[in-house]
This record gives sequence, C-alpha cells and structure tokens, in this order.
Amino acid sequence: MIETLVVSNLLLWIAVIALAGLVFALARQIGVLHERIAPTGALLLGGGPKVGDPAPVWSGGDLFGRPLQLGGGDGDGRGTLLLFVAPGCPVCESLLPVVQHLAVEEAERLRVVFASDGEPEAQRRFAEQKRLDAFPYVVSTELGLAHGVGRLPHAVLIDAAGIVRAKGLVNSREHLESLLEARERGVASIQEFVARSAGAERAEEGHP
Amino acid sequence: MIDPVLPIVLRGALALLFVTAALHKLRDLHAFRVALGDYELVPWPLTGLVAAGLVAAELGVAIVLVTPWARPWGFAAAALLLVLYTAAVSVNLLRGRRDIDCGCFGPALRLELGPGLVARNALLLAGALTGLLPPTPRALTALDGLPIVAAIGFLSVAYAAASRLLANAPALRALRGEP
Repeated sequence: MIETLVVSNLLLWIAVIALAGLVFALARQIGVLHERIAPTGALLLGGGPKVGDPAPVWSGGDLFGRPLQLGGGDGDGRGTLLLFVAPGCPVCESLLPVVQHLAVEEAERLRVVFASDGEPEAQRRFAEQKRLDAFPYVVSTELGLAHGVGRLPHAVLIDAAGIVRAKGLVNSREHLESLLEARERGVASIQEFVARSAGAERAEEGHP
Repeated sequence: MIDPVLPIVLRGALALLFVTAALHKLRDLHAFRVALGDYELVPWPLTGLVAAGLVAAELGVAIVLVTPWARPWGFAAAALLLVLYTAAVSVNLLRGRRDIDCGCFGPALRLELGPGLVARNALLLAGALTGLLPPTPRALTALDGLPIVAAIGFLSVAYAAASRLLANAPALRALRGEP
C-alpha cells in the first residue's frame, strides 16, 4: 500500500516537472513568435527625400563637439547609416547592440551616425550609458525634419555620393538587414521589392 | 505551524532564485546599472555603487538562506530585499513609467514594469514570510528528500516560465492594438 503511494507520488512529481518544462518551452516559443510577427517590415513612411534623391546636406558639430558632415558625399568613400533614436525608446535600445555590431562588421563600407533631438544633457547621458560615444551622435531637430522622421527608430542609408539608398522604420535586426539588402538589390523598400517580384511573376505567367 | 518540509523547499527555491538573479546581473553589470538608472530613484553617479551593492545583497541573501544556523534571518533578509524591489517598481508604476526594463534578469530577458511584476513579487514575499512560521517538530526521513528536491525543481521552472509570460505581455498588448 505505502509502496504504491510512493511510486505514484514519484511518477506524479516527474509528470509535474515535465509539464512545467513544457510550459516554459511554450512561453519561450511565444516570445520568439512575438519577436517575429510584431513589426511590419522596414516600413517606408512618407516625408523626407525619396530613395534615389540626394540626402539633405547637414554639417556642424555633434553632441561631443566633433565636426561632421552628412549628405553631399562625406569624402571618405563610405556610405552612411543614419539612425534616428531617442532616450526612452525601448525598441531603439534593443536595436543598439545590433547596430554596434554592424558598425564593426561593415566598417569598411559603412559609417554609422546616430541622430536624435531633445535636451542635450539627457542625450549625453543616453549616449554614455549605451556606449555610443565612439560614434558621431547628432542632436538636431532640423535633421529629423529634413529626413521626415515620424516614428523611431528610423534608419536612412546614404551612399558615398550622398544619395539616399534605403530608408524606413526599423524595429528589429531583420529590418536593418533588409535595409542593407534593399541597397544591394536597388529597391526602395521591402514593399517595392514585393510589388516588383509580384509584377515579374505576373509577367512570366503572361498576365501583364 | 507548518510542516518542516515547507521551509526547506522555500529556502532552496528562494536561494536558487536569488543566485540566478545575481548571476544574470553579473553577466552585464553595466546593463543592470543602466536599468537601475532608468528607475530614476538613485542619482546616476551613485548607480554603479548601488548596482554592485544590490547584486552583493542578492548573493548574501542566498548564502544566509542556505546557512542552517541563520534560519529565520535568511527569510527576513529575502523579504526585505523583495519589499525594496517592489517599492521601487510601484513608485515607477505610480509615476506612469511602464516602458522601462525591470532589470530582474540582466541581459537574458527584458521584462517591463507592470502590475504582473508586483503580483509576482507579492507571491515571492508570501513565500519568504511563510518560511518564518514555526515548523512542527517532526523527524525528517529519507523519503522527504523526494518532495523537497522535486518541489524546488518545479518552483524554479514555473518561475522561469511565469517570467517569460510576463515578458511577453507588452508584445501581446501591441498585437491587440492596445496602447
């Protein structure tokens, strides 16, 4: 009798722990799914220069007093990834490590510049906390207006000649990569890419 | 009066919780410092010191919990730390600041402040306070080892799962189109 109870108790504990493990795995998978589906691609929002147009020229000192020129070709033959961020924007914060990694990986082809607007003291604290002091960090409302930035984080990819190659709202690593991919393929946005491939398919099938 | 198995389980589970919490924070102490700064309760120059102090406190609580002769103090210290954390979270919720990371799990998991976090801490606090109740005098047998080990394992996995679900809450709200 006692033995039966002990065995049954043991089996039940094993079942309870296995089920708890399953719940944990499910919770994790839900988290991954949320990450994948939440945002809607490197979304192209209206406003600012179009892809293919020259980027607005901006020059001045950055947050740390270093001289900087944006647009009009920066001279050193690299493109520029201009990323608009703000303190207190959780998505921006989650994107920062990816951008920092990208800056190292693509250092030969790409210069990463952060941009924001607001109180310089808060910006300085944000930049220091997130270890962004190694990058040019522009605080300028005019720059944001010139690029028609609506929602953050917003990325603009400018080539060495100062032409906007890709831009859009970037919420995740995938969006940022899709922006670079867009440059390689010469399309303005993921939406244009989808529209083009759909058009090409229709043309192949003989329905223009 | 509670069965002597219960305080042992609570002690083991809480010690495991605080050790993992401290290790998560040690993996990136700077990130914890930033999270602490976001609470806006400690001036930024002091956050480095306070962050290191909190991690040391978590490790200390875990050690005192598993030290046999320091029995009631472990639960009391755990309760104190939990009250402190819950107060910090509540102050920021009252300020209406939900979108900051709680800093509970370091870089492993981003968990935003919310009522769920307060409820979680209240449950943990209830566990710590239960451990302070006097146990009934009963000799423990070898058979008691099974529920002790199994319950500690279960509580730890359940806690990890609950944390994941809490961390998903903001994404779920965004999917539903709520602010």
